[in-house]
Amino acid sequence: MLKLDRSFLLGKVKAIYRVVSKGESPLQLILKKMMEQEIIDGVISARKEGGRIVPKLFKAPSEIELSPLNTFFGVNTLLKKAIQKYHLSRIAVVAPSCVMDGLNKTQYYGIGCNWVKTAVALKVGILCTGALTQESLNCEVLDLLGEREEVERCYYTKEGLAYGLSSGRELLVNVEVHHHYVSSACKYCLNLSARGSDITYIPEKEENVGIFIIRSERGGRTLGLLQKEYPSLLKFSSLKMSDISHVEELLKKKMILNIDSILERVEVGLPGSKWDGNRFRKFYRVWNAIGDFNIEEVF
Amino acid sequence: MFFSREDFIREDDLKVKVGFFHFSSCSGCQVSFLDMFEDAVEILDTVELVYSNMLTKRETVPRMHVAFAEGALCIEDRRHLSLARELAEKANIIVTVGACASFGGVRRLSVGSQPPQPSHQSFLPLTEVEILKGKVKYAIPGCPPNPSLLYNFMLALLEVNEDFLQPFEFMASSRDASGYDVVKEVINKGLCVGCGTCVTACPARALDFNYTYGKPTFNPLFCVHCGSCLASCPQSFKPYPQPVY
Ligand code: SF4
Ligand code: SF4
Ligand code: SF4
Ligand code: SF4
Repeated sequence: MLKLDRSFLLGKVKAIYRVVSKGESPLQLILKKMMEQEIIDGVISARKEGGRIVPKLFKAPSEIELSPLNTFFGVNTLLKKAIQKYHLSRIAVVAPSCVMDGLNKTQYYGIGCNWVKTAVALKVGILCTGALTQESLNCEVLDLLGEREEVERCYYTKEGLAYGLSSGRELLVNVEVHHHYVSSACKYCLNLSARGSDITYIPEKEENVGIFIIRSERGGRTLGLLQKEYPSLLKFSSLKMSDISHVEELLKKKMILNIDSILERVEVGLPGSKWDGNRFRKFYRVWNAIGDFNIEEVF
Repeated sequence: MFFSREDFIREDDLKVKVGFFHFSSCSGCQVSFLDMFEDAVEILDTVELVYSNMLTKRETVPRMHVAFAEGALCIEDRRHLSLARELAEKANIIVTVGACASFGGVRRLSVGSQPPQPSHQSFLPLTEVEILKGKVKYAIPGCPPNPSLLYNFMLALLEVNEDFLQPFEFMASSRDASGYDVVKEVINKGLCVGCGTCVTACPARALDFNYTYGKPTFNPLFCVHCGSCLASCPQSFKPYPQPVY
C-alpha cells in the first residue's frame, strides 16, 4: 500500500541546507553565479512583469529575477526558443514539479522540442502546494482576510504556507481554503515536493533565506562548488530531516486533500484524458491495495 | 515480433531492414528521418536503410521489417494505391511518420488548399486505409516529428521497449488530431497544470498561452493537425520514467 510517509512526500534526499545570501534570494544569487561561472548558459523560469507573472528566459546573469509567488504558468513555452532559437545547451529550469514533468516527458520521448535531453543542465524544483491565477489569489486573500490586499511574496514558515502582503503584514494560509482556490489540476497533484529534480527550493520568510533539498549528485556538486567559491556571499548551514518536519507536515495536510479529490474523481467516474491508461483508477487501486508499489510506476 | 530470424536474407545478415516511403507529403518528415540518421550513426550498425526515394537507388520495393511512411494517400493517384498494396505485402509493420500519414495533417480539414495536381483532390491518412490497417502498428505525431523523437522511437523499436512504444500504438488508432485535443482532453477535464509544453510543441503557433488564466489558448485557423500538443502534454499519457535520485 502507498503510504503518506516521508519518501512519498519528500522523495529522495541527499542533503538539506539552509542558505543565507547577501541581499537577494539565495536561489537567484546562486543562478547568477552559476551563469557567471558558465556552469549554465540560460535560465528558464518566471518573473513579475507589469504586475503579472510571466515565463521568462534569462540569458544574462543581471537579468535573473525569479517569481516571488508560486506562479510559474507557461514556463515550458520557452523551451523551443531557448534550445532551437538561441542554441542554449546548459539550461537551468526553475519551476514546480508539473513543469518538470512536461520537461521530463519531452526529454524522454523527444516530442515537442528537439534534443531537450542534452540541453538541460539543472532542474530546480520549487516546493508547491498549488498554483493560483492572479484572480484566484485575490479571491483567496479576500476570503482569508476579509479585505483585498496584494500578495508580494509566497513562502513557508513553521506554521505553514504564508503570504507577505503589500502592507508588510503576513497572512497564514489555511490549507483547506488554499485547496479550494488552487488550479483544478493541482487538486490531483502527487508531487508537491518536486521529487525528481536536482534540487528542491523552499523560500523562507526572510527574502534572503531559503532551504535547498539536494537530491542528485549534480545538484550537490553544483552547490558545493558555489559554497567554496563565494563563502562571503552564501552562508550554508546543514539541516537534519527533523528541521524540515514543518514542511513534511504541510505537505501531508495538502496531500490528504489531493488524494481525497482523486478518489472522489474516480468514484464519480470523471474521465481522464485519452491515452492515459486510466492512471487515476490505477492510483485508486494501488492506494487501496496491500503490497509494495513504486510510486513512479503509477504516475 | 516485427522481426524474426526467418526474415533475414542471409544467415550472417542480422540488420533490421527499414524503408522510408513517400505518399502525398512535403517530404519534411523524410528530411527529419534522414537528419536523425545523421545524428545517430550508431543506429546504422543494426539498421539498414533498404529504400528511400532520396537516398537509395532501388526502384522496386524490397521485403523489409519496418516501413516508415510519410504523407497522406491520394485517392486519385494510382501509384499511391499500388504502393499501399506493396507495403501491405512486403512490410512486417508500418510506422506512419508525421501528421499527414498518421492523422491527415494539413491534408485533413484543409478545404481549399491547393492540391499538387488538379486531379489530386482527396486524401486520407494511412491509418484509415483498410488494406494497411493490420500493418500500421505505430503512428508518430508531428509536422514534422523531431529527429530526436524519431531517434528515441527507433531505439525503442530495436529494443522492443513496449512502455515507450505503447502511446504510439494508441495514436495509430486515433482519429484526427488538433489543438482541440488539449482543450477537450486536458483543459476541459480539469487536468491542465499550465506548464506550456503543448505551446512549445506546436509547430504552427496555433497554441498560445493565456497568462491570466494560466492555460493555453487555441486558434484553429493555424492548426496543421499534427497531434504534437496532446502527445507532448504531461497530462495526456503517463507514466514515463521520472528521474529518481
Ligand atoms: S500543485 Fe502540482 S500541479 Fe499544481 S502547480 Fe504545484 S506542482 Fe504543479
Ligand atoms: S507531416 Fe508535415 S512535415 Fe510531414 S509530410 Fe506532412 S506536411 Fe510535411
Ligand atoms: S494545435 Fe499545434 S500542436 Fe496541436 S495539432 Fe494543431 S498544429 Fe499540432
Ligand atoms: S501541455 Fe501543459 S499547458 Fe498544455 S494542456 Fe498539457 S498541462 Fe496544459
